[in-house]
Amino acid sequence: MEKSKIKIDIKNCLACGGCISVCLQDAIYMISSKANLDDKKCIRCGICIKTCPIGAIQESK
Amino acid sequence: MEYDAIVVGGGPAGSVTARFAAESGAKVIILERRSEIGIPVLCGEGISQRIDNWGMLEGKRWIASKMDGAKIFSPDGTMVTLSKEMAGNETGYVVYRDIFDQELARRAAKAGADIILNTEVTELIKKNGKITGIKAREFDEKFEINANIIAGADGVESKIGKWAGINTTLKTNDLETCAQYTLTNVDYNSDYCEFYIGKKISPGGYIWIFPKGENTFNVGIGVLASLSDSRLPLKLLNKFINDNPILKKGEPIRFLAGAVPVSKPIETVKDNLLLVGDAARHADPITGGGLTTSLEGGKIAGETIGKSVEKQSFDKETLSSYETRWKEAFGTKLIRDYIVKEIMLDFDDKTLNMLADSLKDYKFEEFSTLSLVKALVIKHPTLLMKLTPLLKLTDKSLKKA
Repeated sequence: MEKSKIKIDIKNCLACGGCISVCLQDAIYMISSKANLDDKKCIRCGICIKTCPIGAIQESK
Repeated sequence: MEYDAIVVGGGPAGSVTARFAAESGAKVIILERRSEIGIPVLCGEGISQRIDNWGMLEGKRWIASKMDGAKIFSPDGTMVTLSKEMAGNETGYVVYRDIFDQELARRAAKAGADIILNTEVTELIKKNGKITGIKAREFDEKFEINANIIAGADGVESKIGKWAGINTTLKTNDLETCAQYTLTNVDYNSDYCEFYIGKKISPGGYIWIFPKGENTFNVGIGVLASLSDSRLPLKLLNKFINDNPILKKGEPIRFLAGAVPVSKPIETVKDNLLLVGDAARHADPITGGGLTTSLEGGKIAGETIGKSVEKQSFDKETLSSYETRWKEAFGTKLIRDYIVKEIMLDFDDKTLNMLADSLKDYKFEEFSTLSLVKALVIKHPTLLMKLTPLLKLTDKSLKKA
């Protein structure tokens, strides 16, 4: 079964940078002080989801 | 545009690097992605009073309050006090980080550094493999700046190091994921920084309460990312505040999310490039504190840039004196504290309670390894086995590590 896409809800992102620092694929970039995920690079490992202190990163349903 | 050095990031490490580079004659520019230096604050705002000796900050506007020491609370609430007498020069200030950062930037500007805001660095420029500058974007305008040295002061999320071939990716057991409120109208007086530890309070981290004066407190949490889950820091912090009758009555005037590297130090120098502050993983692995190391490291980096410009030599070998000097200044401490962090992660709540019970009446002023071991063993003999790896940590063993 294919893993779901990961989505960063940029309206909730507080730009702490945690997700960027742990991303193994270098798939997350700070753009206009919001974390943006490049789905082409993302391997959907979910590390960033667990790392977000406020829950702004989720699997998209 | 042409500069001797580009500093990417206008936090404490970047500003201090720029200042000392400019003071030693280099033409320097700071590029900051945010629209105001120091905002948003990403920090518990505690710093050692050792900075008094460094002459990096003028005046007192950046000081919120002075601390008499620290109180550490074990999972069952046993309190261990580290007082001013014991902690010596390691007592601290609680600062207004926004004003603190702006004061450091002011000193950089005064020394001659240029500053641009709203500017994201998107890429390093390389010619035949050699770094010669950066590409950046200020709002929608794209531009390039050439320089002989790039200083990456771009924080925990650093890309500069990665682009230069340094592995800066953090493992989840080397990152604290944080949330923090500034609470006001809190009916409580304290001149101590308080720390609360335990698996249920904060797995692999702690909750802090730092007084800022005027019934205002910085209350925050750091959870080790490998033990965390989506939104867990926020949930645990809210629970802690709601379970505390005094904090519960306070009102928030600020909320922040944060991330702190608690890894071993990494490679910080390449040809034409160096890393400082959180980007260099210069934060203490036990406390997550990174202000003093950013200031110390930034000064060394700035001086190194100055010398490098004077010699017109920008290769790794020349810049390596930065790495040699920060290792001497605080590298051994970072490695030691990383090992302690790893050992302490294995302590369950019961062990932490026994430890606190043994230490609660210990006279830290009369500290010696022998007296400490005695204090531990008399009350809880089983502790000794757990603590043996800590007691074996000598300077000699660290030099080998």
